[in-house]
Amino acid sequence: MRPSFWVAALVTVLLSGTAGARPTPTTAPTLELTTLEGKTVRLADFKGRVLLVDIWASWCGPCKSSFPSLDALYLELHPLGLDLLAVNVDERRRDADEFLSHHPHQMPVVLDPQGRVPEAFGAEAMPSSFLIDRSGNIRFRHAGYSPASLPVYRQEIARLLEEAGAESDGVVVIGP
Amino acid sequence: MGIGVSALEGAGYVDWAEDELNVQFHAFQDTRDATILSPTIELTKDFTDRTTLRAKFGLDAISAASDSCVRCHRPGARDTRLLAGASVIHKLSDDTKLTVGAEVGHENFYQATTVIAQISKRLNKGNTTVAGGYSFSLNRPQLHPAQRTENQFASDAFASLTHTLTKTTVAQFGYEIAQIDGYQSSPFLRALINGERAVGVSPDSRTRQTLSARLRQALPLDSYLETDYRHYLDTWSIHSNSLQVGLSHYLTRQLLVNVSYRWYQQTGAFFFAPEYFGNPHYFTGDFRLQPFDSSLYGGRVVYTSRGRLLWLPEGAGLTAEYEFYRSTTGFQAAIFTGGVRIPLGNK
Amino acid sequence: MSLLCRTVVLAGVMGLSAQGCATVQPWQRGRLADPCMTFDSDAGRVAYQTHWQEAREGAAGGFGVQSGGCGCK
Repeated sequence: MRPSFWVAALVTVLLSGTAGARPTPTTAPTLELTTLEGKTVRLADFKGRVLLVDIWASWCGPCKSSFPSLDALYLELHPLGLDLLAVNVDERRRDADEFLSHHPHQMPVVLDPQGRVPEAFGAEAMPSSFLIDRSGNIRFRHAGYSPASLPVYRQEIARLLEEAGAESDGVVVIGP
Repeated sequence: MGIGVSALEGAGYVDWAEDELNVQFHAFQDTRDATILSPTIELTKDFTDRTTLRAKFGLDAISAASDSCVRCHRPGARDTRLLAGASVIHKLSDDTKLTVGAEVGHENFYQATTVIAQISKRLNKGNTTVAGGYSFSLNRPQLHPAQRTENQFASDAFASLTHTLTKTTVAQFGYEIAQIDGYQSSPFLRALINGERAVGVSPDSRTRQTLSARLRQALPLDSYLETDYRHYLDTWSIHSNSLQVGLSHYLTRQLLVNVSYRWYQQTGAFFFAPEYFGNPHYFTGDFRLQPFDSSLYGGRVVYTSRGRLLWLPEGAGLTAEYEFYRSTTGFQAAIFTGGVRIPLGNK
Repeated sequence: MSLLCRTVVLAGVMGLSAQGCATVQPWQRGRLADPCMTFDSDAGRVAYQTHWQEAREGAAGGFGVQSGGCGCK
């Protein structure tokens, strides 16, 4: 078979893959999620607050590094006004539980086995995180994770915290 | 207000790797009276976020070497084959990886030097990967017991396409072509011509082509099916088909068991014959060029530690595998492999 | 190579190319992330198996670039 045939085949495949891309949202979607304890939390309840939404899974290699790092960031910056939701997308609850048993945490974890959150946010990698300002706009996106990105997270969070509060500076209570 | 985007190391593409050390030990014994003990060590180390070094060292301690040696060396013959290789994997972008490497092999009557380059690119959010590579080898057999050394040049190119079909199915298609020029007879295997033994004469050019199709299927109950098919043909008229099927199952999250079966079939080279008469242009005593079928049965156990395992760190893995090979020519081989995988710390 | 083979390969390429957008999203790759779903996840073991098979069979290759030969008897 001539080499030109294989070149044509390879080029065809390389040029594909760009059609059908969906537009990424600019405002946080309105979703209702469930915590580990079975309580309900709504993304809309965080309006007026700076919110970091982190999408992770037990099978995701970089998540083993991002999860404790973001938990430490939450511990440090929550008193200053940062809220964080760690959204687990494992299809099996026991996989998430096993991961969490080896990774103690303070940040709230919510369960999303159907993957509604990453779909609504337009996630393109695992893990993915989204910083939402007080007005509900998605201001920063992170696809993947590297320890070198932590300073970037801090700068972005500081910038959003400095912006004028919208409606509430109170603490969001995750209700029943 | 704008949206800032950063794209970093993404997962779910199954290439997020830890630094690790892999130590394996292989024991091979067959009915050609070859007994080979082979330790290998492979180190994978990240130097930057985008560059990984992989270094390999292996040794084959070949004792009581096969019947081809024992004709002259009645007690058998010992040989040691050393193999050393290194490769650098560099991410040109988040989706493109370039690998360059080299490998050298040395044994009593054979030297081999190989350089390798390959590139891969992910597409469609990691659902599709195209890859291509090229290698060049200079192989130098010594025509023992003569001191003369011959040259053999081998160029090899391959391309593959890997695609995620569903959440539980991945397929790969590959094509490979190799051109080998130079001395390709075996100085150790003698053909029978007119009742007398003589060193074989093979064509000094050979083109090999391979088409492969592979499938990985996740099954219920923590099980996985693997299927590999390969079709091979060359200009020596050897056609071959092989089909390997394997089933893996997690008894627990730490303990994986695998069973596999491989069926192999090949036709003979156009110049192969058990015995030659008259004045043939090409003739060979190389048993690999005859028509035959074979079966390979394998079983493997992999244990991955949750915490520390003896002196090994968390996440260390132990592997034990046994394979049995049998062909229609009567040839049989048994292979045992034991290995330990030592993580050296996350990135 | 036969025309049938060429056609099958081309159809496969076009079929894959026609996917356009991703068929599996990054957060749906839980089972795909298992080492059992990769090809040659234990490269050292596969390399050794390839090595002794090529020392006892006429066919070679098919699963990646080749290392140098050996005087394997």
